[in-house]
Amino acid sequence: MLKRLFIALAVLFSPLAAIAQPVDSGHALAELVSERQAAAPGDRFLAALKLDLDEGGWHVYWKNPGDSGLPPEIYWDDLPEGVELGEFSWPTPHPIPFGTLMNYGYEHEVVLPFEVRIPETAQPGDTITLAGEGTWLICLDICIPEGGDLSLDIPIAAAPVTDDAGSAAIGASLAASSQPVTGSANFSQTEESIQVWVEDGDLAEAATGATEIRLLPDDHDIEHAAAQVVRLGDQGVSVTAPRSAYASDNMDTFSGIIFVDGGEGDARSWRFEASAGAEIAGVATTAFQTGGGGLQSVGAASLVTFLGAAFLGGLILNLMPCVLPVLSIKAASLVSTAHDRRESQMHGLAYMAGVLVCFLAIGVALFALRAAGESAGLGFQLQYPPITALFALLMFAVGLNMLGVFEIGTSVQGVGGSLADRRGVSGAFFTGLLAGLVGAPCVGPFMGPAVGIALTQPAPVVLGVFLAIGLGMAAPLVLISFTPALARMLPKPGKWMETFRQALAFPMFLTALWLLWVLAGQAGANAVILVVAGAVLLGLGVWLANKIGRDAFGKVVAGVLILGGFVGPAVGSNLVAPPAVAASSEVAEADSQAWSPELVSQLRSEGRVIFIDFTARWCVTCQLNKTSIHSERVVKSFEENDVAFLIADWTNRDEVIAAALAEHDRAGVPLYLVYPADGGEPEVLPQILTPGVIVSALEDAAGT
Amino acid sequence: MNFLSQDKLKLLAGAAVAAALTAGALIASTANAETTIGAQAPDFTELNTAGEQVSKSDFAGKTVVLEWTNHGCPFVQKHYDSGNMQGTQTSALDGDEAVWITVISSKPGSQGYVSADEADELTTSRGAKPTHVLLDPDGSMGRAYGAKTTPHMYIIKPDGSLAYNGAIDSIPSSRVADIEKATNYVKTGLGALEAGQAPDPALTVPYGCSVKY
Repeated sequence: MLKRLFIALAVLFSPLAAIAQPVDSGHALAELVSERQAAAPGDRFLAALKLDLDEGGWHVYWKNPGDSGLPPEIYWDDLPEGVELGEFSWPTPHPIPFGTLMNYGYEHEVVLPFEVRIPETAQPGDTITLAGEGTWLICLDICIPEGGDLSLDIPIAAAPVTDDAGSAAIGASLAASSQPVTGSANFSQTEESIQVWVEDGDLAEAATGATEIRLLPDDHDIEHAAAQVVRLGDQGVSVTAPRSAYASDNMDTFSGIIFVDGGEGDARSWRFEASAGAEIAGVATTAFQTGGGGLQSVGAASLVTFLGAAFLGGLILNLMPCVLPVLSIKAASLVSTAHDRRESQMHGLAYMAGVLVCFLAIGVALFALRAAGESAGLGFQLQYPPITALFALLMFAVGLNMLGVFEIGTSVQGVGGSLADRRGVSGAFFTGLLAGLVGAPCVGPFMGPAVGIALTQPAPVVLGVFLAIGLGMAAPLVLISFTPALARMLPKPGKWMETFRQALAFPMFLTALWLLWVLAGQAGANAVILVVAGAVLLGLGVWLANKIGRDAFGKVVAGVLILGGFVGPAVGSNLVAPPAVAASSEVAEADSQAWSPELVSQLRSEGRVIFIDFTARWCVTCQLNKTSIHSERVVKSFEENDVAFLIADWTNRDEVIAAALAEHDRAGVPLYLVYPADGGEPEVLPQILTPGVIVSALEDAAGT
Repeated sequence: MNFLSQDKLKLLAGAAVAAALTAGALIASTANAETTIGAQAPDFTELNTAGEQVSKSDFAGKTVVLEWTNHGCPFVQKHYDSGNMQGTQTSALDGDEAVWITVISSKPGSQGYVSADEADELTTSRGAKPTHVLLDPDGSMGRAYGAKTTPHMYIIKPDGSLAYNGAIDSIPSSRVADIEKATNYVKTGLGALEAGQAPDPALTVPYGCSVKY
């Protein structure tokens, strides 16, 4: 009210001013403002429509309103002779989601400047009046077309007179308008999506650390409400958005703005006019994680929480089925040193160092991949067939070693022992390294959220979180090695240890078998054959080394064979074509469909309950959970509640799945989502499932 | 699974809470189902105001016009208060084998949601002539068609394929004065079909209020 009174008084007491009548249209107070109290003949300046909106979410629209709505408009009466008016200039709008729709617009206040050109023939002393009917659709959840008769009297004087208040409002609007990009902009489209590459140094800088980056198109060529994939680089930004039915196949140009929310109300935008063309270098080198909360939201306190969660996750990693065999080797070696406290401590520390080096290396590799624009998550190391092949062979070799087929280091150190059981600090270190490598793909409980958020952080935080996981993983053995009371509880060393070590070879072979199964899903049967061939070569090399390995020639021959056994399958598995159905080869007792965002929206539109299983062959937790998912109770509940069961298989790299995981702040699988029938938010299930948990979530979602 | 001690279960519960808390932005906001011109229009089965089930298959061999509406929406009012929507209905139903179906997808408690009696009363008071008014309070039919605004218009050919999807006319505004200057896409679309041609345009951007799903 005070504001309205003030405006009324201001109008009353400034007879020389360009006079506008503010209009109260119900949910907005509208008026025309001007940079000029008086204009000169031939003058060019800006006037603007200023809308002061009710608070609480009432908004008006950008020039492209999105899925619904209309932009404000002024229908001018006949203009005085010679007067010309320009188009609105639009300040940066905000994305305004509404249910399954998306709008673009403004809350609180908006000032829309337009140019006014006064003819040379205007006479000082005259007054030019701009009058017209303004309309603005103002919406909360309901929409009201409001409007009113607007007018602006512009006195003509010999020299222009500035209106300070009007200039300030217009200046602020112009400062908030989109900056044209300084570099080039290209786009390309497929049937499903449109990708733009936008080159601009300022944009690149603002994008680093932004809480939200979104492409707002001038037209309706993209699905406004759909999730977008954003990549960043030193030189700019790239956005991929799903194409809409309104897009044309032979567009020459694609234009819009890149909206960048820096947090705390600091939103800016860059205007691009992209031509059909190729990727621009340096604008799409790293993935921008949307929905991750951004850098600003992670304070020191929450950082400690993440590190704590990562530590706990590492602790639990010890119990994961893929780590147990390696862990048991270490347990055996601890037994052998339990009699010597100092040696025991050294081993514990060396083991920890091995685990830490491994996790540090994984962290660095993950960050490097992200920096290269890849969508890498925890467990990413098993998304590359050559690495899976190498791991399988490594497990096989370690198993042979434990069986006593060959020994390592006898000639060098003259000490009997096996790779992971060597009575030396380096043996403990190797065991730690191996445990870390094999354990990393098992994203334990706690690690999804912890690592998911960590991945949106700068490198030191990413590495810190990985180190915390490593510390957690190494903690139990370090504790035992430093606590004589605990160490004394371990059985005394003796001849049984040899037998125990040999028995542990079989979990290693089983791990190798599991990795082969993963590889079969990734690269098909041919790759598996290659690895088995590599294993034969390896065996031959080891056998020859024992027979003729005493001289240099024998060493070279055996070495070449062993090396060939490792390298051949690794290279080969990358060359063989993966089977066409590899990506969706998960066999399930419950009827399932391959996940896609489009299918999810379609099923949601049909009002179905949806259960989504984000999984991967290399994720052991995922495999364990499958027994719950395919249990009789759950399968029956699927039928009763007409549940759509979707599987998103992340065994191989897949950007769309990575983006969906990132939306839920995850950097790895498993992730289980249940979408309710009423179209509400999905429920995130725990990472270790029981049939009861699934069934009750499904029933909640179905509303039964 | 014997490693699931009580402490671990507590940790798991904590993990579940943490996971639930971090489930923020959603795939939920992804696009509606696409309806493609020339492809079969989505099937539907909804109750009309007389409580009878009405399905797409009931109208095989007939041209069907679908109109999404919300009587509280000013854009709907623009076309009803001016008589434009009723006029479009009259000219559509003038043809021999055409059907006009008005759909209300507002969820209970939101603008435009009405009971069957209220819907009939609106039809009477507005002098409208829909063949059926379908009540779709769960929004399933609206989402299947990707209806975004009220009004949002569709024309289905006698063979069940979609011939037109979009706005009622060519001038997106809430001003009654624009109606006579605008091209009525439903009228031109039906005219083209009658002449054995495809509507042009067949796909336009609908304008109006958001459908209140």
